[in-house]
Amino acid sequence: MKRFQRLTRILGAAALLLIGGAAAAPASAQARINKLSDVAFGTLSNFATDSVQAQSVCAYSLGLLGAYHVTASGSGTGGAFTLGNGAGATLAYEVQWNDSAGQSSGTALTSGSALTGQYSGALLSGCTLGAATTASLIVVIRATAMTTATAGSYSGVLTIILAPN
Amino acid sequence: MRIVSSLALLGSAAVASFCAASADAATQGSLGATSTGTVTITATVPNRAQITGLSDISFTNADPSTSASSAQNSCVWSNTATRGYSITASGSGTAGAFTLTSGALAPVPYSVQWAATSGQTSGTALATGTALTGLTSTATRPTCSSGPATSSSLVVSIAATDLQDMVASASYTGTLTLLVTPQ
Repeated sequence: MKRFQRLTRILGAAALLLIGGAAAAPASAQARINKLSDVAFGTLSNFATDSVQAQSVCAYSLGLLGAYHVTASGSGTGGAFTLGNGAGATLAYEVQWNDSAGQSSGTALTSGSALTGQYSGALLSGCTLGAATTASLIVVIRATAMTTATAGSYSGVLTIILAPN
Repeated sequence: MRIVSSLALLGSAAVASFCAASADAATQGSLGATSTGTVTITATVPNRAQITGLSDISFTNADPSTSASSAQNSCVWSNTATRGYSITASGSGTAGAFTLTSGALAPVPYSVQWAATSGQTSGTALATGTALTGLTSTATRPTCSSGPATSSSLVVSIAATDLQDMVASASYTGTLTLLVTPQ
C-alpha cells in the first residue's frame, strides 16, 4: 500500500512538472538533502525511557521514480554514532531514516552502510515546490545508553549522505 | 525481646542545570551525484545516583549481655566521572534520631555505620542528617545489574546497655532513611 501511495505521489509530481513545462531530463542522476536542523536533546532527565528527536527533511533525487539511498556516519571512532564529552566519555545514539515526512520511527541505519530502496516525492531540488519535506531523520538515545554514560554535556556531528539509485 | 527495624530507601538526584545551547550549525547538502548534510547533536546527562538492594533489619531475641549488630550489602550507583557520592541517614525518632520505639516505652537508640565497599561489618559512623562525603562507588550500572553485585555496606547496631533498657517481649520498630547524592 505504501509503495502504491509513493508511486502515485511520484507520478503525480511528474505529471505536474510536465504540465507546467518545468521538467527537463537530467544529464545525470543527482540528489540533494537539505532542511536539516541540529538535534538538541537537552537534559536527559528520564533514564527510564528512550529519548527521541525526529525531524522532517527534504530528500530529493533524480533517480528512477525518485529512488535514492542514504548513508549516515557519526563523529565517533570509526564513524560510530556516539557523542563525546571532550574528556573521553561517550554517549551512544541510534539513527533511523524514513522516506516519508513526519515520522517518529524508521529503519535503523548502520554507520557507513547505505540504506537502499528509498524514494522521494520531491518535485524540485530543495522541495521548493510541492511538499516542503519528504523524509524523516530520527535520532534516538536509548535509556540504557543514558545509564551507562558519565554525567556531563555531550556533542557530536552526524553526517548524512544522499545518493540517487 | 524482639526488635524490628525497617529500612526505607531514598535515592536522590542532583540535576545538572546546564543545557547545551548552540547556534544552528546544520549544513545543507547541495545538488550533486551525492549530497552531504550534517547536523550537530547535543545532549546533557545530569548527575544521578541510586541506592538499591536494601533489606529490612530484624533483631530477634537479641541477647542483652552483648551488643547486637546487623550488616548488609547494598548497591550505590553514581554516574559522575569519579562515581562519587555522599550519604545522609536519618531515623524516625525525634529530629531524625536513630531510635526504635514501642508505644509508650522509652525509645531505644541504635547506631548506623556506612562503608563504601561491600562485605564489611563496620564502617564510618553516621550522624543523623549529616552527609558522609567523599565516597566512591564501584557500581557500573544502576541496581548493580551488571558488574559488581553490591558496592557498599550498611551496619546497624544496638549497644548492650541499650538492649538492657528494652522491655522483654515488646516489639520496637523504626525507619532508617538513607539519602544518596552524587558528587
